[in-house]
Amino acid sequence: MKKFALVAGLVLGAVFLLSAQEGAAPTPRGQAAPNPAAVERGRVLFKTNCAACHAEDATGGRGADLIRSALVRHDKNGDQIGPVVTNGRVDKGMPPFPLSETQIQDIAVFLQAQITLFDLHTRFGPYPNDIPAERLATGTAEAGKAYFESRCSGCHSPTGDLAGIAKKYNPPDLEVHFLYPSGVPTTAVVTLPSGEKLEGTLLLNDGFYVAIQGKDGWYHSWPARSVKTEVHDPLAAHAELLEKYTDADMHNIFTYLETLK
Amino acid sequence: MKRVFFLVAFTCLFATWVPAQGLDPAKLLKPSTDIWPTFNGDYSGRRYSTLAQISRQNVGSLTLAWAFQTHGRGLESMPIEVNGILYISAGNEIWAVDARTGRQIWHFARPGAPTGGSNKGVAMWKDRLFMTTPDAQLLCVDARAGKLIWQIQVDDPTLKAFGGVAPLVIRDHIIIGTSGDTADLPGFLESVDPMTGKVEWRWDAMPKKDDTIAWNSWPHDTNVGSRGGGMTWLTGTYDPALNLLYWGTGNPHPVENGDARPGANLYTCAIVALNPDTGKLVWYFQSSPHDTHDWDTVMTPVLFDGTFKGKPRKMLAQANKNGLFFVLDRTNGKALISEAFVPANWVKGYDDRGQPIPDSDREPKPDGVLVTGGVGTNWQAPSYDPDTGLFYVNSRETMGVFYLTMPGKSAEGWAGRDFFLGSKSMLKAIDVQTGKVRWTADTEGRGGQSGILSTAGHLVFTADMSQNLVALDAVTGEVLWHMYAGGSLGTGPMTYELDGRQYVVYDADGVAFAFALPSR
Repeated sequence: MKKFALVAGLVLGAVFLLSAQEGAAPTPRGQAAPNPAAVERGRVLFKTNCAACHAEDATGGRGADLIRSALVRHDKNGDQIGPVVTNGRVDKGMPPFPLSETQIQDIAVFLQAQITLFDLHTRFGPYPNDIPAERLATGTAEAGKAYFESRCSGCHSPTGDLAGIAKKYNPPDLEVHFLYPSGVPTTAVVTLPSGEKLEGTLLLNDGFYVAIQGKDGWYHSWPARSVKTEVHDPLAAHAELLEKYTDADMHNIFTYLETLK
Repeated sequence: MKRVFFLVAFTCLFATWVPAQGLDPAKLLKPSTDIWPTFNGDYSGRRYSTLAQISRQNVGSLTLAWAFQTHGRGLESMPIEVNGILYISAGNEIWAVDARTGRQIWHFARPGAPTGGSNKGVAMWKDRLFMTTPDAQLLCVDARAGKLIWQIQVDDPTLKAFGGVAPLVIRDHIIIGTSGDTADLPGFLESVDPMTGKVEWRWDAMPKKDDTIAWNSWPHDTNVGSRGGGMTWLTGTYDPALNLLYWGTGNPHPVENGDARPGANLYTCAIVALNPDTGKLVWYFQSSPHDTHDWDTVMTPVLFDGTFKGKPRKMLAQANKNGLFFVLDRTNGKALISEAFVPANWVKGYDDRGQPIPDSDREPKPDGVLVTGGVGTNWQAPSYDPDTGLFYVNSRETMGVFYLTMPGKSAEGWAGRDFFLGSKSMLKAIDVQTGKVRWTADTEGRGGQSGILSTAGHLVFTADMSQNLVALDAVTGEVLWHMYAGGSLGTGPMTYELDGRQYVVYDADGVAFAFALPSR
């Protein structure tokens, strides 16, 4: 098996070197959305013919891991995998598979879809913002409710501002949002040397300058030293709680908030 | 190793190289103050300059000497400066700029390559420049005219490998690393011949079978132990006396699924000491054994000598992405100090070498887990000032929530998702004798994610989260000078002296700003 991997690696490496010769910028994959029907046809063909060695998700087993195979990643419509599929790699234990060109193209589309799926499992990709609520709701709603009533109900109400909150956010966003909401503006009261006070949304407070958007709608700024600035951070209570939460608190609160639909 | 490269017809021009021009690699052993010839300024990675013309007393009158416009290219690179010429890079481009006037000498845009993309900086050897690119090529460029001499493919971009790391020149060798995190891929370092692009040696972060301890730090019922991790994202440092090259390695793959790879997963998340002539490993120190949080250990391993607890020591210090500060004996890799510089709840204790023992309860879980410690700092360079004995680092305190989204042994790639909440950024000065934070620049937003320069003028130059360039008193942390740059500092400031005038250069977004005292 290790010998197989080594030989396969050499073959794949050769393909990599050949393509590297071009010296051009990489072509981003997935520019055009794959045809879902072709992906499904490819999935069925792959399961029937390939999965016994390469696993249903193409991550390999007895056979090579195709998700991180350079040959598969350089493939275009079966031009790289086609010869391997139809001729096999008999010396490494892979028999020939007499599939048609169309079938190989479908398998290629399925493999590219699988690669995209794996690559998108990053914090940068869109997946998996759809983490299902059941996976996160591992606490008890009762304990979450008790926590809420003792620590949160001074500012929030399940029938007021939080009514239907679980419908507004997808599950991971709901969790992150209750842990530490973002986008809530900080406000400030700025006292001028004359004694006049201006209140507004705090835009800058870098120690050198203070800037607010006043209640009059206008932008105002001052050298920080010339005024007295009282900052009101509406998230101060959240920041304090964030340092104290246990994993169990987090799971319980989420489980409770998920009932607010 | 077999490599593909092509020569552009400039070879003949280099047959007669005159040492008075370009950069003799011997100069890197003790750079003069009129040059900043490498990513870190010198081999030690201290980012400390003996220049003292700009000092605590006069820094308040610092003024703009010139500004260089890239016209829209974001700069994440550390300029180098040799013989009065700055070399500034981005993506597939280099600008040669008069270091006195800020005027462009030439602009290199790699033929056929897209504009944009990030780059950490170029390296210089004699009259050649070297840079790595977003599509994982190493370019060799004529420093006189900005023409491509050769390029070689060093890694596979379809596996989401990319370049960007500033190469390191040691004698007649160009040392390069590689980056990437999306798909599993194995990290490595290579030594390349500057004339031909031929690979002289390669060190792999993934261990071979005869390296028993490291081999056994991975499971072998799957191919995870060969598949990936240990990327070499950021330029290392070098001790010429010990002839040891120090480099930090990246996280293991799959990134946030530890169940797929029980064990310490050597040589990921480690500081490695290599012989630069052979690429052989001499010692390692693993700062995040069995990492499951993307706490790559690529932050600069900073080298300095001194006494530690009354005994003379050759030391190496690193402020790590995992929230821990280490001081090692760099002759053998044993920790003298292992100490958190931000809260770090993932550490259960330390082993007899000072390596942290991770708490398995803090590994990513399908329903989420709360983790502190990361990203305590990032790739933006720290600085060590031998006059104060302080190690300056831009730090961040934050609460991470880590979700395991792809459980099981077949996971690949990231395999999880993380969020960082309620970040507090601050510049910290750490005493290298104790590992304790001596002071924190506590003004609102000071610190942040910028590189740092310290100087014999008892100054620390950096930038803050509000896009202010700042200079602080190196002893007290008091802010003595600031200027709003209208963009984020991509990397650390650097300094040099020409015609008796000290310049401090900052890259902010697409502009390089040079500051100096008012000219008389």
